[in-house]
Amino acid sequence: MLVVDRHGGLVRVNEAARVLLRGAAGGDGAAARVPSWLADAHRRVSDGLPGADPGPPTGTIDDRFFEAHPTPGADGDVVWWLVDETGRHHAENALSDALARSEILAEVSSALLSSLNVPRCMEVAATMAAEHLAEAAVLVGPPQGRRHPLTYARRGGPVTQVTRRVDVSIVPGLPEALQGFPPVPARWINPGDIPDWVIPDDFAGPVGSVIVTPLPGHGLPAGALILLRSSTEQAFTENEELLARLFAARAGSALSAAGLYSEQAAITATLMQDLLPPPLTSVHGVEYAGGYRASQDQERIGGDFYDVHPGADASRSTLVALGDVAGKGLEAAVLTGKIRNTLHALLPLADDHLQVLSLLNGALLTSHHTRFATLVLASVRRHRGHVELRLTSAGHPPPLIVRNDGMVEEVPTRGTLVGALPTVTARTVEAVLAPGETCLLYTDGITEARGGPLGDDLFGEHRLRRALAECAGMPAEAVVERVRMLTAQWLGAGGHDDMAAVAISAPKPGSLAALDGRADGGNPRRHR
Amino acid sequence: MTLPTTAAALPDRLWQAVTGGDEQEAVGLVRAALAEGVDEEALLLDVIAPVQARVGVEWAADRITVAQEHTATAINERVIACLAHHPPSAAPPTPPRGRATVSCIDGEWHAFPARLVAEVLRLRGWQVDYLGAQTPTPHLVAHLHRTNPDAVLLSGSIATHLPTAHAAITACQAIGVPVLAGGRAFGYDGRYARALGADRWAADARGAAAVLAGGLARPHPAARRQAADDLPHLADQEYTMVVRSRPHLVKETLVALEERLPAMRDYSDAQRERTAEDIAHIVDFLATALYVDAAEIFTAFLTWTADILEARNVRARSLVPALDALSEQLRDFPRAVRLLREGTTALHGPSAPGPEMCA
Amino acid sequence: MTSLPPFEFSLSIHREPGALIVRLAGDLDYDTSDDLVDAVTEHMAAHPRLADVRLDFHELTWIDSAGLSALLMIRRRTGAAGVTLHLDNRPTVLNRLLDMTNVLDHLTAPATREAEGDGRTDGRTEGAIEGAGDARTEGGGGVAADGSATEAGTS
Repeated sequence: MLVVDRHGGLVRVNEAARVLLRGAAGGDGAAARVPSWLADAHRRVSDGLPGADPGPPTGTIDDRFFEAHPTPGADGDVVWWLVDETGRHHAENALSDALARSEILAEVSSALLSSLNVPRCMEVAATMAAEHLAEAAVLVGPPQGRRHPLTYARRGGPVTQVTRRVDVSIVPGLPEALQGFPPVPARWINPGDIPDWVIPDDFAGPVGSVIVTPLPGHGLPAGALILLRSSTEQAFTENEELLARLFAARAGSALSAAGLYSEQAAITATLMQDLLPPPLTSVHGVEYAGGYRASQDQERIGGDFYDVHPGADASRSTLVALGDVAGKGLEAAVLTGKIRNTLHALLPLADDHLQVLSLLNGALLTSHHTRFATLVLASVRRHRGHVELRLTSAGHPPPLIVRNDGMVEEVPTRGTLVGALPTVTARTVEAVLAPGETCLLYTDGITEARGGPLGDDLFGEHRLRRALAECAGMPAEAVVERVRMLTAQWLGAGGHDDMAAVAISAPKPGSLAALDGRADGGNPRRHR
Repeated sequence: MTLPTTAAALPDRLWQAVTGGDEQEAVGLVRAALAEGVDEEALLLDVIAPVQARVGVEWAADRITVAQEHTATAINERVIACLAHHPPSAAPPTPPRGRATVSCIDGEWHAFPARLVAEVLRLRGWQVDYLGAQTPTPHLVAHLHRTNPDAVLLSGSIATHLPTAHAAITACQAIGVPVLAGGRAFGYDGRYARALGADRWAADARGAAAVLAGGLARPHPAARRQAADDLPHLADQEYTMVVRSRPHLVKETLVALEERLPAMRDYSDAQRERTAEDIAHIVDFLATALYVDAAEIFTAFLTWTADILEARNVRARSLVPALDALSEQLRDFPRAVRLLREGTTALHGPSAPGPEMCA
Repeated sequence: MTSLPPFEFSLSIHREPGALIVRLAGDLDYDTSDDLVDAVTEHMAAHPRLADVRLDFHELTWIDSAGLSALLMIRRRTGAAGVTLHLDNRPTVLNRLLDMTNVLDHLTAPATREAEGDGRTDGRTEGAIEGAGDARTEGGGGVAADGSATEAGTS
């Protein structure tokens, strides 16, 4: 306890305060003995000003922490009661450090988990490390051949990423970190041993302290993180090393997840390449266009398929196949792959649709399931400006022909589905398209699209026919586009089955495809 | 316009070719212009784009048929494909200036504007991934994870796709990819792009290229947000309610119209269905206006519809009764009622006396 | 927007002397077809002396390709057990699908004709289904095989 007058002179000092203030006594000028934070607080109280901060004034005397509580005394004196709060203060400091740490870690986790792209993830990790842990951070990725992906970040500066051949063995602790061994304590690393390639171009001054920590991945190390501080800054403390390790654990697992995702995505993309329907163009003077929409929006593949196999030359038929496998998603897609490959192999027999279907049926039969397919085969040839078609349905909705006068005709072909019964039958039907006319092959996903203004109606064959009637004279891709658009509108946001359509059109004069047909197609082009 | 005088007649000639279904002529015109030294960007934006815009205008005015509209669009697409295969006049700078993804909003089938932007960016040296129409948002996001582009350009023509666009914008930003929105759906001045939190908006392909060239900051990856964070009015649940009860609203409105308009009782099934579709559109635009909290989305749709019907010599007599019937059903939803009232006012404007819709 | 609840699918199963009667109601599709196959398989295993399985479609509201696949699987099971399958009270949606895919005769062929059909399975399909436990007895192609000779190639 001490009593101070309005001019800052010490009036009385009790025993405890005397010891604390090194022998201060009543009558001394307070400025000489009292710490500046307390003198400051006293002036405010004397002048009737509010405190600089809410709550009682606080400060240190030697290495102790005190709260000072003022009580007005006689003649404008102030009685100051000093309360030692050192213990509580330490606890609070530790708590706020821990809070700050978990706040940083939460922010880091959330940022890191946002991207599944490896370079982007490295960029985020390096940026956040430079922001929260050090002046600069270098993220060294696992080797790709003899090179390492390197990500450099400086606090407040841009991030640079390179993949370069570097000697990791000369960086203390780095080879170990890249193999996933526990980190070497920062104090063991001599900043002078850090090679130039580690130091970002615009790093300020010589390196003062370094942390090298592994980025633990799922199974394999995801790389290593090097944190740098210049010699003018305080060296890394043990607490900071701990935070760096916690940070690295999160960065490592995010990088690992991103790596795993990229790998899976690459595998899927490769496998799907063969399962996706091919882009179609005109072949031997006939226009083809295809449209496809898989049922589950997360997957791009499904149970519908189509292919156009150009004839060896313009005098030979082109084989078009469009079909539908019972079921959805990947399982169905795998079966479409089998069917498409089998049909490809059967191309030499393509003129005999029934034989092709019988052989396909035999190839698909299995005791494991009755997952069948339905399809339409079309052999297409341009002859004197018209397009001749031979069409065979195997359990599939019959093709529709759009005549130039807007009439829509159903092609009366009918046959057994393939892949479930021991034998199949089918009837092939011939048709001719005049220039401007189109034959549409489609799967039942289109007619069975549920939606419409009342929410739960089937699109149905009659609406498809009505839509096609408006498509008289349109080029193939415009017909497909129109059908796609109408079904998309019909569906709204509702779910749907796989949908596929292929339009085969006899080009009108003025179409480029018509030109293509006149030039002798001695040069067969593949469209897969 | 930066076309040389020799090419000034080009848009008209291309218009004739595409609406006449003459692909050879259309491609020939563009190839000849290239040979004369007209630059590709000018061809895309000052010749092909205006022709395509005119397709929409002429259809609305009932001066071309649906078949002509689709044929013209298909031929325009083929013309662009021919340009894309044409060897570029100047070698593009290597390496590319950056990588950009161009996509339509899920459900949007008007791909032409997106296609133009993609081609222009390619010409300006960007590596472009063009995902086209009907790209489900999960595919778009998967694509971004795989390729980590500098930006996504999200294109939309029809306002009813704005709620879906919002989901796409937040999903892209949540993984740290900035979104540049464009197309009529976002408003003539980009106001809905801002409302939905897109990073930037551009009025056209040149504007988009300029924004991209200026660079877009990556959104803070940790700053995830939900629809209601951008649009707090969604808390009143009016949007949700209208969307969820859409089939019911359409059905009840149809019944109410039959009571009020005796002529409707003699409608064929096809006519009834067309009327139901018109009502469904009204409900969709009402829902979108509720979502964005912008009355002009709704009123602009109604006056546009009235004009379309007018052009076809159909007086849209049932539009206002349909709005009345909806007001009746939605009477407990103040924002919806207000929108419907503004819609009625807009229809009673100078150009639309007693309307009738659908024949 | 089309989030109307789907038609509830249900099965009710009755026994009559020598026959199993399964009444279906609702949509027989990708989501529900396994239920039907499982139910019929279970009851056939529990009652080995059956002569007939009758599927009653009176309350069927919808059937898709997965539903048809289920019927084909049930036909395999009944054929292997010498049981005749009946498709009763077929609504239009089912008849159209059976007609388009040309499988009605196969599905409802009487069990007694199975053995004859078995011998006539041609070498190609025999190879494909060799060693295929329950599929070996699958024949039923007599009618179809005859049809193919007359219908092939006509136009």
